[in-house]
Amino acid sequence: MALALPALFAMFLSACELHNNGGSIASLRVGAQLAAQQELVRGVDAGAMRSLDPSISTDIPAERVLDDIFEGLTRLDQSGQPAPGLATHWETSSDGRTWTFHLREARWSNGEPIRAGDFVYAWRRTVDPHTASDYGQALSAVSNAIDVNEGRAAPDTLGIEAPDEHTVVVHLNAPTPYLLSLMSKAYTYPQYRPEIEAFGNRWTDPGHIVGNGAFLLREHVIGGRVTLTRNPQYWDAASVRLQKVTYLPLDRAVQTDRFFAGDLAFTDSFSAEQTAWLRSRLGSQVVSAPYLGNFVLGVNVLHPPFAGNRELRLALTMALDRETLVRYVRQGLYQPAWTPTPPLPGYRAPVPEWASLAQAQRLARARHHYQLAGYSAQHPLEVELYYPTDTDNRRTYEAVAAMWRSNLGALVHTFNEEFRVQVNERHLKKLPLFHYAWIGDYPDPYTFLQLFRTGFGYNDGGYSNPAYDRLLERADVESDAATRLALLAEAETLLNDDAACIPIYYYASRHLIKAYVKGWTSNIQDRNLSQYMYILEHQVR
Amino acid sequence: MARFLLRRLLSALPTLLVIATLAFALLHLTPGGPFDSDRTLVAQIQRAIEARYHLDEPVWRQYLRYLNDLAHGDLGPSFTYRDTSVNQIIAQGLPIDLAIGGCAIGFALLVGGAIGLGAASRPGSLRDRLPMTLAMIGISVPSFVIAPLLILIFAMRLHWLPSGDWVGGSWRHLLLPSLALALPYTAFIARIVRASALDVMGNAHIRTARAKGLGDTAVLLRHALRPTLMPLVSYLGPALASVLTGSIVIEQVFGLPGVGRFFIGGALNRDYTLVMGLTLLYGALIIVGNFVVDLCYAWLDPRVRLNR
Repeated sequence: MALALPALFAMFLSACELHNNGGSIASLRVGAQLAAQQELVRGVDAGAMRSLDPSISTDIPAERVLDDIFEGLTRLDQSGQPAPGLATHWETSSDGRTWTFHLREARWSNGEPIRAGDFVYAWRRTVDPHTASDYGQALSAVSNAIDVNEGRAAPDTLGIEAPDEHTVVVHLNAPTPYLLSLMSKAYTYPQYRPEIEAFGNRWTDPGHIVGNGAFLLREHVIGGRVTLTRNPQYWDAASVRLQKVTYLPLDRAVQTDRFFAGDLAFTDSFSAEQTAWLRSRLGSQVVSAPYLGNFVLGVNVLHPPFAGNRELRLALTMALDRETLVRYVRQGLYQPAWTPTPPLPGYRAPVPEWASLAQAQRLARARHHYQLAGYSAQHPLEVELYYPTDTDNRRTYEAVAAMWRSNLGALVHTFNEEFRVQVNERHLKKLPLFHYAWIGDYPDPYTFLQLFRTGFGYNDGGYSNPAYDRLLERADVESDAATRLALLAEAETLLNDDAACIPIYYYASRHLIKAYVKGWTSNIQDRNLSQYMYILEHQVR
Repeated sequence: MARFLLRRLLSALPTLLVIATLAFALLHLTPGGPFDSDRTLVAQIQRAIEARYHLDEPVWRQYLRYLNDLAHGDLGPSFTYRDTSVNQIIAQGLPIDLAIGGCAIGFALLVGGAIGLGAASRPGSLRDRLPMTLAMIGISVPSFVIAPLLILIFAMRLHWLPSGDWVGGSWRHLLLPSLALALPYTAFIARIVRASALDVMGNAHIRTARAKGLGDTAVLLRHALRPTLMPLVSYLGPALASVLTGSIVIEQVFGLPGVGRFFIGGALNRDYTLVMGLTLLYGALIIVGNFVVDLCYAWLDPRVRLNR
């Protein structure tokens, strides 16, 4: 039923020809001065904010809130790059395996000083298997993290120490160029031990939680609104302009409605189908930018028809007209994907040579591979494709199946399954062709390439290539950043040559942002901290 | 009367037990577990999570544990909202649904009842045809159409009322969701009351009343009203339960943190305890609703004896 809402609403809105609402460009006048009332209401995805415990939380809505109420060794700057946070500066040992962070004088929201030991406590807590954090392995770069997380070593053997109250020393297994990005992730934020020990699971309640970010948690309705106010104890409080930030978890279509009604100034999403209509109404208040995530069709290489049949995998990936998919199914919002890693600053993902061919030539190549794979019009490929139930997925995969049918004559049967069912069957490696999407944990190709490592936990297609594994192993220990990226690019080329998966799109972030909200910049991690934002004077006619 | 109350209370317990057992069995039979996600967890973490929620125990023991907690009024921790218990979720969401549902049912009874009686007093006239046509539309148009329309008119065009959210139960935030929820029920009640009133008006005791020379209004209010309400009361029992546990559509459209939408989210996330807790809540409300209906029957119709 919820799926019918956006369409219905679009119909009503266009039928009623709204001109005098708070959202359309014509009716909104924005001045140059700061508004007297510095309050921002942000929409986030409904039903997802599941925990505000930095060690446990995994969802994006909670990440937005945690970014506002906590701060790590680094904090993201306005453009989404890691910049000094609680650490003013840091140095690295010559082998790149020991990092020393120097902390500034800063206080918890209850006035207590923040000590280096608060980081040690938090990291150990994240990795400790008793905490049962989904991100227990995200700190795998830190020495002993895996052993601690898998119960083979005590938490106090984790490679983090506090030689004095203002110094945090981190010991790594290997040089980790993306470490500074990790330091601005929630699971590395410092935690205030006395409250956690006193209140257990309830320590994140507004009455108990002690934070160190630019804002304080004032109200948290489970599955509902979260209200934050400015934290006077924050070390950089002088540059924070918003007095109050409210997060409202709402469905995508409802976020759009509430934006038009003037109740929301910053939404986290909008329906791709409404893009053109929204742009015509809202102009530059519709904001979309590349996002660190891919939309991929996984291929199970352990079972027929794809096991040992590289030709078939190549035929399928070449026979897709990605530009058409992007234009007509995703309304031009996403980018066509030819390789697993989305465009990243400093990394040139290896695009296969056939990607630059004209569609007709690509198709001819695809048919050739299809024949080499042993299939023909008389003996067509028949295979099943599984995706989690979702309108956007359905539209894409019906188009994909239709393309394979008309371009190759392949009979692809699409099945939608509930998310948890599909995920479960995927992990059991039961599905021949399956949808997955991966949002990178940090802006580095490794977060995407690890998925194809032999035996890696999320390698659901069962891909295994010793040459690929060796390249990743070499990249793991390489301390020169450029050489490391070159090794990763070489590894990714192997993936493409093997057609280890069928990339379809790169994601894009989608927001509706009122013209009077300033202090944000689109960035690849799609994280905009409220502490940089401010409201300009404005008038709604 | 006391015997009746006691008997009804005791008979409710096995019903709730059956509901709890069915919900437990169905959830555990559904494929996909509460902690399946894109990221496969390492065995140690999986075990830690399973131990925390007792999912590592045999199913029969989980069942007994659940019943034991239930007997102590504890619906367990939510699997999805990891810092919260199901009791907390219900304690937070139910008052919102009760407020909106209460207003909606009050509105539906008053307005729907008045329209129905008005229509029945002049069958076939414009006073009958027009409201009944509107009521038919009211029944046919689902709330996911009515709710956005109300927002469109009152929030986005006229800017009179907020388009959603819940701020400590202020009446401005209560109005639109209550109205959207009430309209289909109003229409339904109007039609039930009209049909029932017309039926009653043909009865012998009404003829007698008229023969005694009573006016239309007096006949309606003094002699026809109570029997007219009988079918309405039967309808209200289950309706009350569904209105009070929150409409998922209304909650989604208006962004209200009631319990309704936790039901769907809980089922999709395999949040066993949350879904079982809400199912029991719903079951208990239906039982209470039916109980109130029985009491009303006895009051409305002297032929019904409660201690029978």
